[in-house]
Amino acid sequence: MITTIQETDTQLIAVLSGELDTAAVPETEKALQPLLDSKGKDVIIDCTELEYISSSGLRVLLSILKQAKSVGSRVVLKNVNEVIKDVLELTGFVSIFEFE
Amino acid sequence: MDSSKKNWMSRIGIVVIAALMVEAISVVQYHRLRKILDEEMGVRTQVIMSTLTHQIRHSLERTEATMRENLWDVKQSMAHPDSVFPAMIRLIDDNPNVLGGCLAFSPYYYPSKGRLFEPYSSRNEDGTIEASQIAGPDHDYTQNEEYLWVVEHRCPSWTDPYKYGPDSLSLATYSYPILGSDGRVVAVCGLDIDLSWLGDTLNARQPYPSSFGLLLTEEGDLVAGPMESRTPRADVQQVLDIVNGNLPASANPRISIHKSRLDEDPYWQLIQVYRTDETFAQVRRLRRQQMLLILLGLAILAFMINSYARNEKKLRLASEERARMSGELEVGHRIQQEMLPKNFPSFVYGTLDPAREVGGDLFDFIMRDGKIFFCIGDVSGKGVPAAMLMSMVHSMFRMLSRRVESPSAILYSINEELSSGNDSNMFVTFFVGCLDLYSGVLKFANAGHDKPFVLSDEIALLPTKANLPLGVFPQTRFEEQTLTLEPGTTLLLYTDGLTETKNLKRQQFGRSGVQEVLRSCLAEGKVSPVQLVSALCDAADSFEGEAPQSDDLTLLVVRFAPENLLREQLTLNNDKAEVSRLSEFVKEYLGKLPIEKKVAAGLRLALEESVVNVICYAYPAGESGTVQIFADSNYEEVRFTIIDSGFPFDPTTVLEADTTLDAQSRPIGGLGILLTRKLVDSISYTRQEGKNVLSLTKSIL
Repeated sequence: MITTIQETDTQLIAVLSGELDTAAVPETEKALQPLLDSKGKDVIIDCTELEYISSSGLRVLLSILKQAKSVGSRVVLKNVNEVIKDVLELTGFVSIFEFE
Repeated sequence: MDSSKKNWMSRIGIVVIAALMVEAISVVQYHRLRKILDEEMGVRTQVIMSTLTHQIRHSLERTEATMRENLWDVKQSMAHPDSVFPAMIRLIDDNPNVLGGCLAFSPYYYPSKGRLFEPYSSRNEDGTIEASQIAGPDHDYTQNEEYLWVVEHRCPSWTDPYKYGPDSLSLATYSYPILGSDGRVVAVCGLDIDLSWLGDTLNARQPYPSSFGLLLTEEGDLVAGPMESRTPRADVQQVLDIVNGNLPASANPRISIHKSRLDEDPYWQLIQVYRTDETFAQVRRLRRQQMLLILLGLAILAFMINSYARNEKKLRLASEERARMSGELEVGHRIQQEMLPKNFPSFVYGTLDPAREVGGDLFDFIMRDGKIFFCIGDVSGKGVPAAMLMSMVHSMFRMLSRRVESPSAILYSINEELSSGNDSNMFVTFFVGCLDLYSGVLKFANAGHDKPFVLSDEIALLPTKANLPLGVFPQTRFEEQTLTLEPGTTLLLYTDGLTETKNLKRQQFGRSGVQEVLRSCLAEGKVSPVQLVSALCDAADSFEGEAPQSDDLTLLVVRFAPENLLREQLTLNNDKAEVSRLSEFVKEYLGKLPIEKKVAAGLRLALEESVVNVICYAYPAGESGTVQIFADSNYEEVRFTIIDSGFPFDPTTVLEADTTLDAQSRPIGGLGILLTRKLVDSISYTRQEGKNVLSLTKSIL
C-alpha cells in the first residue's frame, strides 16, 4: 500500500495505490494524517490505483469525511474502480461521499 | 343447439325420403299385381266357360243322340196315330234331361185327326210320363217359326231358349224333320230340354260372393243367370246393357266383364262378371299390411339412425376426450420431466424413466453450503394421481432442503403435510441424504425406501433404519443416521423399478442383477455417476427384452469425490498484522480457481472481515490465540471455514449496520458482518468441541 499526499491552494490530494486491507490500515491511517487537518480545503482521494478495500479501510475514509465535514470541506473520491464501487454501494457509502 | 337440431332434421329427412321411395315402389307393385290378377281372372274365366261349354254341348248332344236313337221307333209308330203316343213316351223316358217330346204332323197327315195333330209327352212331378194331343186352334204349330224353318230347310235345329210354364223354366227345343217317301217333311219331332240348371251351374261355384255368370243367346238375350236372391236384377240388367252396347263399358268401372262364346250352333254367349273391389280386396289388404310393416320398419330405421348418430357422437366425444387426456398426460409428463434436475455436476447423475406417461417416481438434489441434499422417492401407485402426489413431495423437498439442515427434519415436515388429509391412503417411500462435499460426512434418513448401494472397494448396502414411509401417520419420527464416507465412495439410489424389472418369463432383475452390474463396473473402473447409470439402464433394458416396462425406473448416483476438490489451509495468530498473510493466502488460492475478478474480490473481503472479527474479539485482550482457515472448492463453489477456540460467538445473529445513515451519524463499526453477509451465498455457524466453526460458501459458476 503506497500513499502520497499533494497539497495545492485549494485542495488536498491523496493518492492511494495498492490494497487497503486490515493489515494496511495502521500505516495508511498514519500517512493520511494530514487530511484530518484540511483547513477548509477540498479533500480529493484519488483511487485510480486502489485495488482493494476492507471495512477497516472504509473506516479510515469515514473518519476523514467526518473531520472534513465538520470544517466545511468537501471530500471527493476520484476514479473508483468497479470492485471498490460495489463495496461502497453495499455499505451505503455511495450516498455520503462525492465521486468524480 | 343449432347443429343438433339440424342433425335431427336431416335424420327425419332421410326417413321421409325412404318412406316416399317405399310408397312409390308399393304403388307400382300394386298396379302390376292388379294387372296380373286381372289376367289371371280372365284365364280362370276361360277355364270355367270352357267347362260349362262342354257341359252344355254334352247336354245338347245327348238330346240329339236321343233323337237319333229313337227316330226309327217313332217312324215305325207313325203307321197308326194311336201308336205314336207310346212311342213319344218311350222317346223321353230314355233321357231324364228331356222334359217333353212332341211330334207335329204336317196338316192332314192322318185325315182322321183333322188338320192339326201333335202328340206330346211330358214328365209329371212324380216322374211318371204321359202323352196327349196338344194341337188345337189356340196352339197352331204350323204358325211356329221353328216348325216352318225345319219344314223348309229339312234339317234339324235348336231353338233359342225360352221361358215356359208357371215356373218360368228355361227351355230349348231340338227339332228334327221326318221325311216321307217323297222326300218331303211329313212331321217334325221335338225334344224340350230344361236349361235352368245352367244358371245354377254358372253361379254355383263363383270365386267371390258378388261375382256372377250369365248365359246369353247369340243376340244377347238372357238365357240363365244367378238367382235374384243372390244378385240384384238391376246389376244383371246393367251388365246386359253394357254387353249389348246400350251402355258404355265405363258405366261401371267397379266391375270387370269377361266374355266367351260357344263355337258351334247354338252360338250362345257366356258372361262372367267380377266386382273389382272384391277381386282386389286381397291385394289391397296385402298393400295395407305391407304399408304397416314398412312404416314399422321405417320407425325402427329412424330409431336406429338416431341411436347410431348418438352413439357416434358419444364415440367422437370419447375419442376427443382421449386425445385431450393424452395431450394432458403429455403435458404432465413434460412438467414432471422439467422439474427434474437437468444440469449435473461431475459427481452426481440421475435418470427417471416413467412406465406410463407420468410416473410416481422422483429424484432431485440441490447444492448449498458445500453440501449436496439429495432425495429419491416412489409413490405407491402409478399414473396421474401418483404423479400429482410426487409433484407435491418434490416441491416440498426443494423448499425445505434450501433451509433445513437435517434430513430427518425434512422427512418430518413432508410427512406432516402428506399424512394430514391423505384420504386416498397413498404413501411415498422416500430417502433424503445430505453429503458434505468436503468432509464426506453423510447424514441421511430413510422413510421406507430401498436401501441404497454403497460402492467403495466393495459393494455394500447403506445400513438404513427401516422407518415408515411418508404419508402413513402424522407425528412419525424418522431417525437420522450419519456415516463418514471415504474419498471415492459412491452411493447408488434406486426405485424398485430397477430391481423389479421383469423379462418375458416374469423373472425379476433383482438386487443380485444390480450387484452383478456394479461388480463389473468396479472391475472395469467405470465408476463415474454417468457410467454407472448408463450401465444399469442398459442392463435393465436388455434383461427386460420385449417385455413391457412395468414400473418407473429411477436411478440417482452421488459420488464423494475429494479428488475433484481444492483444499488449502492457513493458521493465523490473533494479530491484525497477520491479515496480510491472509491476503496472500486467499489471493493465491482463488487464483487457482476459474473465478471472476469481482467475485474473487468479494470472497476475499468476506473472509477478511470474518477473520478480522475473530482476531479482534474472540480472545480476551492481550491473550494470544489462533484462527484456522480452510479453503475448499469443487470448482463450482468455494467454502471458507474459520475455526477458533475463543469465546462462543455466532456472528450470524449480529444486527447489521444501518447503511442509510448520513456521514456524521455513521458508527465506525458493524460494517464487517454486513459485508460478509452480502458477499457470500450462505453463512453457517456451529460450536463444535469448544470451537467456533463459521462457514462461508459462495457459488463461483
